[in-house]
Amino acid sequence: MSALDPRLSRRQLLRAGAGGALGLYGLGALGGCTVSRPIEKPESTAAVKPEIDGDILLYNWAQYMDPDIKKRFSEKYGVAVNEVNFDNLEAMVTKLRAGGHYDLIWPSTEYAFRLQQEGLLHRFHRDSLAHADGISSFYDGGWWDPNNEYTIPYAYYTTGIAWRNDVVSGMAGSWNDLTNPDGAGKMFILDDFQEAIGEANLLNGWDLNTADPNQLEVSKQTLLEQKEFARGISTNSVQNLVNGSAVIHQAWNGDIVNVRNQVDNPEDFSYETCKEGVPVGSDLMCIPITARSPGTALKFMDWIIEPDNAAQNVTWNGYPQPVEGGKQAFAGLVKDEPSIDVDIEELGDGGMEYRLDNAEDRALWNQVWTEVKAS
Amino acid sequence: MSGATATGPRLGSRRRARRDEEGFDKPRFLRVYSWLVYLYLFVPIAVVVLFSFNSVKSLQSFRGFSLQWYRDFLSDETLRESLFVSLSIAAITMVIATVIGTALAIGLVRARTRWSPAANILMLVPLVTPEIVAGISALLLFSQLGIQLSFWTIVIAHITFSISYVTVVVRGRLASMGDEVEQAAMDLGATRLQAVRLVLVPGLWPAIVAAGLLTFALSFDDFVLSFFTTGEDVQPLPVRIWSAIRFGVSPTINAIGTLMMVVSLTAIVAAVLLPRLFGRRESGIKVLTGQEGG
Amino acid sequence: MSEHGFWSRFLLPGGLWLFLLFVVPICLVLALSFGYTDDLGRAVYAFRLDNYADAFDPLYIPVLLRSIGYALATAAICLLLGYPIAYYIARYGGRHKHLLIAMLVIPFFVNYLVRTYAWVALLADEGLLNSLLGDVGISEIQFVNTPYAVIGGLVYGYLVFMILPIYASLERMDGSLIEAGKDLFGTPARVFLHVTLPQTKQGILAGCVLVFLPAVGDFVAAQLLGGPDTYMVGNLIQEQFFTASNWPFGSSLTVVMMLFLSIWMFGYLRSAAREARDPVAAEGA
Repeated sequence: MSALDPRLSRRQLLRAGAGGALGLYGLGALGGCTVSRPIEKPESTAAVKPEIDGDILLYNWAQYMDPDIKKRFSEKYGVAVNEVNFDNLEAMVTKLRAGGHYDLIWPSTEYAFRLQQEGLLHRFHRDSLAHADGISSFYDGGWWDPNNEYTIPYAYYTTGIAWRNDVVSGMAGSWNDLTNPDGAGKMFILDDFQEAIGEANLLNGWDLNTADPNQLEVSKQTLLEQKEFARGISTNSVQNLVNGSAVIHQAWNGDIVNVRNQVDNPEDFSYETCKEGVPVGSDLMCIPITARSPGTALKFMDWIIEPDNAAQNVTWNGYPQPVEGGKQAFAGLVKDEPSIDVDIEELGDGGMEYRLDNAEDRALWNQVWTEVKAS
Repeated sequence: MSGATATGPRLGSRRRARRDEEGFDKPRFLRVYSWLVYLYLFVPIAVVVLFSFNSVKSLQSFRGFSLQWYRDFLSDETLRESLFVSLSIAAITMVIATVIGTALAIGLVRARTRWSPAANILMLVPLVTPEIVAGISALLLFSQLGIQLSFWTIVIAHITFSISYVTVVVRGRLASMGDEVEQAAMDLGATRLQAVRLVLVPGLWPAIVAAGLLTFALSFDDFVLSFFTTGEDVQPLPVRIWSAIRFGVSPTINAIGTLMMVVSLTAIVAAVLLPRLFGRRESGIKVLTGQEGG
Repeated sequence: MSEHGFWSRFLLPGGLWLFLLFVVPICLVLALSFGYTDDLGRAVYAFRLDNYADAFDPLYIPVLLRSIGYALATAAICLLLGYPIAYYIARYGGRHKHLLIAMLVIPFFVNYLVRTYAWVALLADEGLLNSLLGDVGISEIQFVNTPYAVIGGLVYGYLVFMILPIYASLERMDGSLIEAGKDLFGTPARVFLHVTLPQTKQGILAGCVLVFLPAVGDFVAAQLLGGPDTYMVGNLIQEQFFTASNWPFGSSLTVVMMLFLSIWMFGYLRSAAREARDPVAAEGA
């Protein structure tokens, strides 16, 4: 029964501790190693051709594509269309870098640019798609893809302010409206470090993407003041608006479409873009270099921008697609509230895109946002 | 103690209960209080059921009755696959964790080696570790080893977290059993392994079943571990629901929740009723919940 | 093969599994907490103390303390809700005892996230409860996006881990002790205080630890039910891994959290180990 002696168990603990220390010493050998290994890239850089070469796995935001579109593709071409979801782009990149074999991904312009720089995307010719003609000219030779070799647009959105016009008055088309006194304690900021800091930058008159530490410090103070006024920090804008918790909400224009679809009083929900600047986001479609069936993936892109499918998808998710069919369907959806509909080509210089070019700036922005949330 | 509870717990406890009802422990207050707590547990589930029949895509305002979310679920292959994956993970986790955890419990109670105290502490730590820590450390391990995140990485993480629950439940019963019957079996010529198989395991069976069911339920419900370890294979249901936060959660999840609850309720009711139909007086639930295992 | 050798073999699969897949990975977290993020945003192992300097920044300590506060409140409320129900089931459940316990597990089949969304639908400003209250003339009350909502969500998620161990310890208790207590102490309150409560101390302790420690690291409740000032350490850590992509800092925050928790953990492990060594005495039979 000596094993039951508590003194011995204490000695056991010590022994375990010593073992642990030894193990740590062993872990010292890891010094300098990175956590995830670099992924193996194929030698060939030939452009992908749109031809069926196997089942595909989509890696997309959840609830962003009508399942019926996948289903019909699957039936028509006899391949499986599987889908997994991410809840933010950084997580998507993390899993992609870890070597995940996804065939089609949905990055923003900024992320597509980064992935392409890292050599993580397949090249293809846009002309090889049957429906490429319908793509809005805004996506022709953008900074993220000057030669139209890596991306096809999926949807775009503006960031603005959604509000309840039956409760709040005096909205002036400015980011200052977030702190409109009628919304005290019922205002939400988006839980997205770029949207939040970006809005504060614009309000302070800085460049949307400033990485100047002093300017960011001022923007941080702006956000802290807004936070005092806010009910919460959340990307769940649809739910917050529908359930009455929010009367003012920083929001994407597609969300307001969904809100109006869900309530009895759609006329009470308005949306505005702001004069200090309108952040515009585009979600693109790209084929990762690790794709197992890049050909099917390209074929699937073509399927999505086919006018009827685009129209069906826009009606389903409420976000405008910058292609023939998609544009018209969106205009139809928001004909009662034209402020939601922003033509990306007309936006011109008023529109701005998020773009943090290096890891250092990103880290700084993330640091600021973490501090805002933690204080 | 095991003998007493196995033979006549109902008579004894009922007699005792009646005596206590004579104003001593105020069971009426307790009963009301308990039902209120059950109400608290089941009120949101009633909301889930209600909204699964909503006619609009909203988790907030109920506008009319429709079956469209059930139709959506049936026609959405991705969601169906997710449900199937969640169930598969739970089933595999249940089987493997129950086997390993039961063995560990037997070892902890019967073996008296110098490793027992260390193993005992090792076994308890996962129970009291926040899930996020287990999730992060599993993610780091898999990344470090260059293992692709997949269905199996989720299963491994779930098993690691479940072993301890099994061990605790099974050990509770084992500690109260004593080893006389095994000794007798061996005196009669059984090998040690036979004694384990023919005597020990059947004796532990209710606790093993209870531990397995608990593990299944915990694994099926788990979000955090799956969130950290999910990869390119079909994602389990909770991960998909979490991801839906940006573009809106559809009431289809309520339809799935309702279906799952109906299935589990049916299983429990069947466990209560079937033994009665076959003329056994002890309810099957007793076996399911492992009597006083814990 | 000796008697000891035979039984020790049962320890092997579980012990090895937990060592390789639980202890080793936690050591990796510890190792990475001294690392840094390189220019490409990848996590690199090294030996630097920067992350700890950041983690002990006055900014983050309140987040940790807040999480501990929420978790303590959660454990206390779970105890208040859970003890009576465990007591009721154990002593008066009669032939429904096992059904009542099984009912506690049913909600797990309706996913935690789904149930939490249901709470939001119930408690939102224009949710079901507020519209009922509105009908009887009570003005709108803000339930969601408050600390109370977060604690409520935690209680809902972890209650069953309080009830089960207390139920188990009540079940193990010898009913005749209460009979004897009645003769000795007279009033029910005193019997409960002097007999039942001490007899179930182990169950209470286990329940509190099983609720408190996991609740500290929770991030779902604060994310779905919280407001601007309910940020918990679990949210902070989760975001370092998946949105800020700063794994080393996330690891150091994890280690700091574990250090805070290890005091409680150690106390529980010692008492649980004592019970395991001497189950009969712990049961008080």
